[in-house]
Amino acid sequence: MRMAQIAGAVMLAAGLAWGQAATLHGKVAESSGAAIPNAQVEATSMATGMARRAQSDATGGYTLPGLAAGSYTVTFSAAGFTSRSRQVRLTAGAEQALNAALTPALSLGSLGFPASETQGNAQEQALLNRRSHMLHIHQNLGLITMIPLVATVVSGGFAGGRASHTGSRNLHAILGTTTAALYAATAYYAIAAPKIKGVKKKGPIKLHEAMAWIHVPGMILTPILGAMAYSQRSKGERVHGIARLHGQVAVITLAAYTIALLAVTVHSGPVGHAAAHSLHAALHLFGRRRPNAPVEGAQL
Amino acid sequence: MKKWLGVAVLLLAAPAMAQARTWQLQSSTLTYHVVHPLHHAEGVSHAARGKGVCQAGTCNFLVAAPVKSFQSGDTNRDLHMLQVTRGAQYPMVVVRVTVPLAELHPGTLKADLEVQFAGQDVHYAQVPFQISAQGKDLVLSGTVPATLTDFKITPPELLMMPIRNQIPVTVRMTWAPG
Repeated sequence: MRMAQIAGAVMLAAGLAWGQAATLHGKVAESSGAAIPNAQVEATSMATGMARRAQSDATGGYTLPGLAAGSYTVTFSAAGFTSRSRQVRLTAGAEQALNAALTPALSLGSLGFPASETQGNAQEQALLNRRSHMLHIHQNLGLITMIPLVATVVSGGFAGGRASHTGSRNLHAILGTTTAALYAATAYYAIAAPKIKGVKKKGPIKLHEAMAWIHVPGMILTPILGAMAYSQRSKGERVHGIARLHGQVAVITLAAYTIALLAVTVHSGPVGHAAAHSLHAALHLFGRRRPNAPVEGAQL
Repeated sequence: MKKWLGVAVLLLAAPAMAQARTWQLQSSTLTYHVVHPLHHAEGVSHAARGKGVCQAGTCNFLVAAPVKSFQSGDTNRDLHMLQVTRGAQYPMVVVRVTVPLAELHPGTLKADLEVQFAGQDVHYAQVPFQISAQGKDLVLSGTVPATLTDFKITPPELLMMPIRNQIPVTVRMTWAPG
């Protein structure tokens, strides 16, 4: 008898509780006040963890009826907006309003960058990788080429003149041939490296490339003139004709090559300034001393 | 007199800043610094865009700039930078910052940064920035202590000598209330 009374009381209480369920309603809008349709509204009971959901209509309005009294966490979310949560306490039978203002979500799209600018391009990356790889070889070979190039020019001082020996001329010729071969390989890696479209060249690379207009013809002409001079000397003749320009062309080629190298390596900082001063001094010295240099010594 | 006037302007400007719900990046200068045994180089970008949203006491900022927008004055170096940072594959550098609204006022701000760059996500904790007010705008300046290893970037070499691992990025941004 007593159990029946208790059960009846519980059922009555539950019925009353359902009859006194609270309703949550409101509007989801942007910060500017514009309605956000199709926003998701989720009320989660802080006591039981049970959730009820609703979706905002065309005017941004939503209604969540039949909520038991208690505390809730209400989360508002919509595509393109930052979700927002608020806490609310509902009393039995109450119709409580809860509005939410959502702010646009922070994304690259919201910053206004076009998709073409934000999407990666694996092909372009592969092209850049290939270009850098080839230019890296170009750079290292160019540096290595400098060694026989200088040695060739220096040995030229001993290979020319009437008192020179065949051995000196042969050494000079071997060094020159080595230089030419390394130079050709260096040039190949620069020429064959993929070009990047739409890039306007600026900076020291322009001087580096401009110098090629001097050292490329110089590197072609020098061995030809050298071969002519070698042939003339081997016949016991005095070097004559355009072959006499072999030494001058070689020095100009070396100077242009050195400038091209320095242009892309040292152009700021203490070492760069020191190198620039040294280069300037060397060119100045060369310019002053060349007219007085012995004719024979300058030929080879 | 001038100093007191400045303080007064800052005090008046601070509440206005704290109440703003959104922020818009008006102008910016981002500069990376590279040191090689033979020279120093800098790359500058003015192409960053950014937004900030403040709600419930927290401000979220998003700043992004195309990697290729950094110009050093040397085409060759810029293309090489683009290659080593995988800039064609990951064309944007994106920075996210979350700051308590209460700390958004003139003075020193220590912010936690989430940086997406070169295909890596790197967290920098407590990076100090100086904030000053210019009318209603907010000017933020500081240096992000980035390194090549943070982003798994192979150090570029010149004459067989690699550049230094540290590539600090100095930042100067002007934010206006949205």
